[in-house]
Amino acid sequence: MDDHLIGVLSNIGIVSFVALSAYLLLLTGEISFGQQAFFAIGAYAAGIATALWGWPLALALAAGAVSGAAAAVLVGIPTLRLHGLYFSIATLAFAEMVRILFELFRYQVEIDGEPVGPDGAAGFRNIRYIFDHNIDAVQFLLLIYALLAVVLLGFVWLERSRTGVAFRMIGEDETLAGLQGVAVARHKVLAAGLAGALAGVGGGLYAHLTTYVEPRIFDVMLGVHSLAYGLIGGLGTALGPLLGVLIDIGLLESIRALAGYRMIIFGGIVAVLLIVRPRGLLDERAVHGIGVLWRRMRRQT
Amino acid sequence: MRRMAAALFAMAAIGMAGAAEAQVRARAELRCEPAGEVLLYDCTVALSDRRTNEPLAGLAVTVGADMPSMAGAHSVRPVTAAEGPVKGTYRFRLELEMHGDWALQINLSGATRDRVVELLRFEDGRVGEAPPSRR
Repeated sequence: MDDHLIGVLSNIGIVSFVALSAYLLLLTGEISFGQQAFFAIGAYAAGIATALWGWPLALALAAGAVSGAAAAVLVGIPTLRLHGLYFSIATLAFAEMVRILFELFRYQVEIDGEPVGPDGAAGFRNIRYIFDHNIDAVQFLLLIYALLAVVLLGFVWLERSRTGVAFRMIGEDETLAGLQGVAVARHKVLAAGLAGALAGVGGGLYAHLTTYVEPRIFDVMLGVHSLAYGLIGGLGTALGPLLGVLIDIGLLESIRALAGYRMIIFGGIVAVLLIVRPRGLLDERAVHGIGVLWRRMRRQT
Repeated sequence: MRRMAAALFAMAAIGMAGAAEAQVRARAELRCEPAGEVLLYDCTVALSDRRTNEPLAGLAVTVGADMPSMAGAHSVRPVTAAEGPVKGTYRFRLELEMHGDWALQINLSGATRDRVVELLRFEDGRVGEAPPSRR
């Protein structure tokens, strides 16, 4: 397979994690501009675990997920009372705080006579696990998509579970959900934690794919895109954010004639869709329609 | 569904397994200069073994680029670098989408497999070191 294609597919897979992370919060009605912070925390935690402590990748990714989840819960609890714009601003402020903290974060260990580890604004290089363990690009791509498939199966389960219904109820009307007996605060913190874990795994994968991270990667641009993927692709199913990622990175990235204009086109698509389809291409109505069509086709065959 | 999830998880875990091997760690000294056209740059990279300082010759080298401030959003299709006259040097031409700070990913394959990331600031008519991220 072509190196560029593998790279683009890997990017699509990894960005899907942070897109799903923002989508999970959108289900509960919260718009977060700060999921990139948990992506960053996951990237640094997993990178430190393999490059400095010699942990296996599976444990390092788990560490990334746990760190992302823990940070998200820590942010989720004090922001429970915030809604709408106030919640969005709070998450954005937290993400910027995390990014600046990583600009100041230095933790290096000498390996083979050279310092390895986060070096503030200069970034964190030599996260060489895949090279030291002879994992080639295709194998890593399969790993990304295997984990993404596990996450999607988790979403299928969630959508059918009481927790998933509670998330959507809270997203529709928090007060009404509370009156119906839904533990709003507990579910919102749970959603924040799960979303943080998802972003953390994505960050861990990203750090190991590129072998290099720096605070600039985790700025507001990544957060805005993660949110936009759900809004473009649709909020009716977890496949919605993935469709958003495919449209942006898959379609726009592959049309080289659009080079340099991609962001303008992407912004235009977001603006148009927010007007004509406020809940994205695969919104609840579209998903229901597809489901009905699918069942009818199965009955006929 | 649970079985499918367990199978996928096992597949992912197997994919992550593997014994660590003492690999050659590459060092890259990268120089780029404008090639006469806007956003076109000629670059030379000198590759050596970090431990022994021996030049790394005879490798397949490709170079891709990404903007750290827009990770994954402006990936430049990797170009193949041709081996230069000096042992361990490779030359390539890079066409960027815009001026700014770029992280060049130098991918080595063949006898040695490694990736070195170098940051450079590409401007109109000049190339310099990319300063660390701003607050």
